[in-house]
Amino acid sequence: MNKSGLVIRLAVVIVFTAVIVGFITTQLFYRYTFLNEQRLGEQSIKQLYNTVSPTASIASYLGDEELAKEVINGLISNDLITAAAIKTDVLMVKSDNYQESAAMLKFILFSPFQPERSVGVLFVKANEKYLVEKANNISATNTIVVAVEALIITIISIFVTYYVITRPILNISKALHVISPGTRERINKPLSHQKSEIGQLADDVNSLLAKAEQQMLREKSLRNEVQVLESRFRMLFENATSAIVLVEPQGDILLYNQTFEQLIEKLKLPLKKNYGNYLQDLFIMKKDLHEQIRIAFTNDESAVAELELISYQEEKIWVQIVVTQLITDDFQENYQITLHDISKRKQQISLLAQKANYDSLTKLLNRQAAEQHLKQLIFSRVPFALIMMDLNDFKPINDIFGHDAGDEVLIHVAGKLMKSLRKDDILSRWGGDEFVIILPNALQKEVTNVCEKLVAQLSKPYHLSQYNKSVCVTASMGVSFYPDDKLELLELIRAADKAMYQVKKEKSINKELYLAFSSDLAKQANDGTSA
Amino acid sequence: MNKLPQTIIILMLALLSVIVQAQEPIAVVVNKINPVDELSRSELIDLFMGKYVAFPNDSKAIPVELKGDHAIKVKFYKNLVGMPLSRVNAYWSRLRFTGRKRAAVFQSNEDDLIAFIIANEQAIGYVPQSLITDDLKVVYILNE
Repeated sequence: MNKSGLVIRLAVVIVFTAVIVGFITTQLFYRYTFLNEQRLGEQSIKQLYNTVSPTASIASYLGDEELAKEVINGLISNDLITAAAIKTDVLMVKSDNYQESAAMLKFILFSPFQPERSVGVLFVKANEKYLVEKANNISATNTIVVAVEALIITIISIFVTYYVITRPILNISKALHVISPGTRERINKPLSHQKSEIGQLADDVNSLLAKAEQQMLREKSLRNEVQVLESRFRMLFENATSAIVLVEPQGDILLYNQTFEQLIEKLKLPLKKNYGNYLQDLFIMKKDLHEQIRIAFTNDESAVAELELISYQEEKIWVQIVVTQLITDDFQENYQITLHDISKRKQQISLLAQKANYDSLTKLLNRQAAEQHLKQLIFSRVPFALIMMDLNDFKPINDIFGHDAGDEVLIHVAGKLMKSLRKDDILSRWGGDEFVIILPNALQKEVTNVCEKLVAQLSKPYHLSQYNKSVCVTASMGVSFYPDDKLELLELIRAADKAMYQVKKEKSINKELYLAFSSDLAKQANDGTSA
Repeated sequence: MNKLPQTIIILMLALLSVIVQAQEPIAVVVNKINPVDELSRSELIDLFMGKYVAFPNDSKAIPVELKGDHAIKVKFYKNLVGMPLSRVNAYWSRLRFTGRKRAAVFQSNEDDLIAFIIANEQAIGYVPQSLITDDLKVVYILNE
């Protein structure tokens, strides 16, 4: 049984109370009994006195020792009296164990004939021991009675407590153990406690269970709603075509979606917890990112930038990054970073740019693009050589075999020229059968070599399969140098053009001639003028 | 003298005697040469109830008592100790068991009693007042 159970506690309390109350009542009762016995004893002694008083009076009156002895003996033969004595003017008759003391009962004896005339005194000593014994006996009996009573009360109380209180409570508790809250289960009200406090307890428990059920149902439906909502959010988040990342100010990633994971995979980067502030480590131009964010945040806006991602593969990946500052409910600053893959768009744009910059026939840079390159070189002050090339005898091919054959020849020439050039060199179709070749950081000697190579490449006849006819094209080239010859682009072009025409002009005389330098031309002119 | 007045006188005397018997005080008397002139009630009780067998002057006293239950005897004890004669007798009966002997001398009637007192210096007895003679000395009058 439970050590601090009701029954045990009650038993302990009752036993303690019984012992204490029993002790006190026994003591009180003993005292009372003793006093009562004493009183009764005195009363009995008085009665005894009344019995013997005529004789005692006569004995005293007459001073008759024999009669007095008779009285004394008669008195001490009683259990109540230990000692007695009769004292008169002339006589002192006493029992053997008589001792004078204050605790004596004293009776004045009067003359049997004259009630007003005292003739002696009767001393009686009550038997205290006897009284104590008697009181003790009564008290002992009383103690036993009290003890038995206490025992009976204890046992009955324990039984009653167990059957009336503990067991029904235990039953309720057992029933509660079995019940899972939130179900339709309820505990049974004990039959014998329909209207008692325990019945009330059962009712209260049941109403609590009912409340719990309601609450749980409500919570369940709420949870379902939340779940649905969550799954939708999750779907939205996970299936977003954009990578969405939630980061802390220090760059720790709190949350990311599948698309982000795929993006990192695509970049062939390890999936880490931190890619620096605003995922900066993913970008080639970190500075641009920070600058954009700084500007946007000072204006209280979301930062939007289009940046290229670091990639260890050929395909370039561009994203539009949107950084939004979020303040959480507990006032923490987080950033929502969205990365829209705009590579395709970028690619299209670059394709468009390519279309704008390239000649659709030969796939070489067009004039406009070439001019851009030239401007760029001039802007960055890179020295270069500009070769203006024009095909000789091209017009007749066009005229005889048609434009298709002309185009075919042009493609052929472009391919040949391309083969003869270095990686940094720029080849462009300037228009018609005119080509411009830019050789950055080239010396005159190198230019000569290149031109020689170009002519050698072109010198081989080209077979027009459609017409089964071989054609041969030659080229005339004029060269000008930046910055040695001219600083201005237009002048530079004009100089090269002039040199080229000079070659064409002199070709009729010198068939082998194919190259002229603007500087040489200028020198000749100077020489000419000076000569 | 005719007989009628005599008869009347006798009747009257008889009536008187009856009245005397009812009303007459009892006198406690001693021999006239007894030196005791007067006794207190207690001294009287002590003598007749056996406490003392001597007069206050320590001379021996002999209480004289009537045998049986004379009216005077009943009246005497009734007056002296307030007890009926039966109780007085019971008192003496009890004392007799303790071995105490009564000092009194018993006389059959009042005349013998008076004669004894006259003859005995130490005697003391009780008589109706009407019977007192010069030979007797009254030491106590018991009244109603």
